[in-house]
Amino acid sequence: MAEVRLSNIRKLYGKIEIIPSLDLDIDDGEFVVLVGPSGCGKSTLLRMIAGLEPINSGDLMIAGARVNDLSPKERNIAMVFQNYALYPHMTVRENMAFSLRLAKADKATIDGHIGRASEILGLAPLLERLPRQLSGGQRQRVAMGRAIVRDPSVFLFDEPLSNLDAKLRVQMRTEIRSLHDRLKVTTIYVTHDQIEAMTMADKIVVLREGCVEQAGRPMDLYSRPANLFVATFLGSPEMNLLPATRDAAEFDLGEDGKLSGGADFGETGPRDITVGVRPHDIMLKPADQAKLKATVAVVERTGAETVVTCTLPSGRHVCAAMPGQVAVNAGEQVGLGFNPLQLHYFDTGSGKALAA
Amino acid sequence: MHNSFSPLERFVRGLFLAFMLVWSVGPIFFIVLSSFKRQVDIFVYPPKLIFVPTIDNYLKLATQWNGFFHAMGNSLIVAIGATVLAGIVSFLGGYAYSRYRSRLTSWTAVYMIAVRVLPPIVVTLPLFPVVDRLGLSDTHILLILLYATFWVSLNTMIMKNFFDQIPYELDEAAYVDGATEWQLVTRILIRLTLQGMAAGSIFVFVYAWNEYLFAMIFTTNNAKTAPLILSELMGAIDGTVWGVLFAGVTLQLVPVVLLVTLARRYLIAGLTAGSVKG
Ligand SMILES: Nc1ncnc2c1ncn2[C@@H]1O[C@H](COP(=O)(O)OP(=O)(O)O)[C@@H](O)[C@H]1O
Ligand SMILES: [Mg+2]
Repeated sequence: MAEVRLSNIRKLYGKIEIIPSLDLDIDDGEFVVLVGPSGCGKSTLLRMIAGLEPINSGDLMIAGARVNDLSPKERNIAMVFQNYALYPHMTVRENMAFSLRLAKADKATIDGHIGRASEILGLAPLLERLPRQLSGGQRQRVAMGRAIVRDPSVFLFDEPLSNLDAKLRVQMRTEIRSLHDRLKVTTIYVTHDQIEAMTMADKIVVLREGCVEQAGRPMDLYSRPANLFVATFLGSPEMNLLPATRDAAEFDLGEDGKLSGGADFGETGPRDITVGVRPHDIMLKPADQAKLKATVAVVERTGAETVVTCTLPSGRHVCAAMPGQVAVNAGEQVGLGFNPLQLHYFDTGSGKALAA
Repeated sequence: MHNSFSPLERFVRGLFLAFMLVWSVGPIFFIVLSSFKRQVDIFVYPPKLIFVPTIDNYLKLATQWNGFFHAMGNSLIVAIGATVLAGIVSFLGGYAYSRYRSRLTSWTAVYMIAVRVLPPIVVTLPLFPVVDRLGLSDTHILLILLYATFWVSLNTMIMKNFFDQIPYELDEAAYVDGATEWQLVTRILIRLTLQGMAAGSIFVFVYAWNEYLFAMIFTTNNAKTAPLILSELMGAIDGTVWGVLFAGVTLQLVPVVLLVTLARRYLIAGLTAGSVKG
């Protein structure tokens, strides 16, 4: 087990700067999820930690030692790949034994480790099969088995669930998390799926173009996003954003109306403000009982939840999500009600969150 | 594949198959059969399909033309040598071209293909004085080098295709598991490119086994290969001994037919450039 520290990490591909300068602290036993849109450098970062990609500058420390120049094997990490990368000509047992064999472990040790791993992951009946004789979920488990037989000090996962169907994805999510709770090994998990990030992480790191936008506990990021990017990236449906002009404590939304009462940024604060409101914080009301009026455009019901997309007079869309089955139809006039204390405020210019 | 062919379609297909069969197997059939006939029976018309087989031709080959067996031994040494050499080089070359991309590798790849397109004799003949100076003429080594070289460019590209189909993540998984590059290649990649190796090896072996022109130019005695003796049999002073010639040709055919039949699956895989599944 080990803590991982990245300071001032920089990565270039040719002349293109993929990661300008990145700092990140991961505690021993922590489950950290790196999340961000496709192409933001998540895999690159993970592969640098694994030792598969050289680091241009900065320090990568694992368990207190600088490992920049060590090979993957000397870093004592294990990695699970998106396409599993199982050795196609080896059985499940041989796949798991490979690293131990290379390390010249004796047969008893190998059998012991494989026995333990296959018991944890339920792989015992599959040990003599070849990867192509396994389902997607089983392959995924073998890939994890191959990682845990070695007792690594850090687990790395690169989008391990993205090749699975939706149902299995949810199931494996829980499995990976409970595996972590059982083994308590420091884990760095990469995904572009914010739900995975929210449900699995001790700590989420939101990346964008090689920079950390915000890092922290999932619920902290959800309730206090540091900027517009994090605010819209986490949460589904996405947070609604309403550009406004501020006059003291009143927010003028133009033809859509005015909001007030949530925050006061005084005389010195910025004037161009974006007001954010999460769909789950909106209640539909009769049109005459709310400051903001809108027309219902689309109603989506999942049974447990009703998601309503409304159009404001300006043509802007606002999404509201309410528990249960709400009686509302497309074309109706509604009022949008929300608690002013649950609004988020951002400086429109910089995108940074403003403390209300 | 669907089975709903009309009778006419089936007839045409049958006819076509029969034509291909006669076209490709006919001459071989004629030669093999004739090698077991007496000289006088070989060219009678209409050809006899039923006759008393004799091994006279083979005995004559062994007694009067025993240089043939020595030459066959040479052919075997040269063919196996070239196959092994070309196999190793194109395997490593294919690995390098697939895994180490750079401007240098893409240029040399183009060059290799270009060289392969030139008539071989144009590239080879200028070597004659060099070969002489190095004392390599009439040696096995020389033919091995020539034949292997001739195939390395194409086989390297075939192998590159096979390596390209192995996801790079597999290499990375092996590195993370603690493998060195050598262990990655010898324990994992070699197993996944066997089909390509087999196909490439067959090309080289069959080529080296059958090759005539270079063997004629560069060998005189010591390293003389079987095809040369067969041609001598045709030009024998006392007229062509057809029966003995056919016996020699039949023996010459055996390894090729065996090899191609045994490795037919790999051959097709190699021709269609690989199908390694993850
Ligand atoms: N080997 C490479 N050579 C050049 N650019 C690369 C290479 N690998 C990745 N990139 C670029 O680096 C950026 C980050 O890639 P990656 O880390 O794979 O993103 P993510 O995993 O977040 O989707 C992308 O713009 C990608 O095009
Ligand atoms: Mg990626």
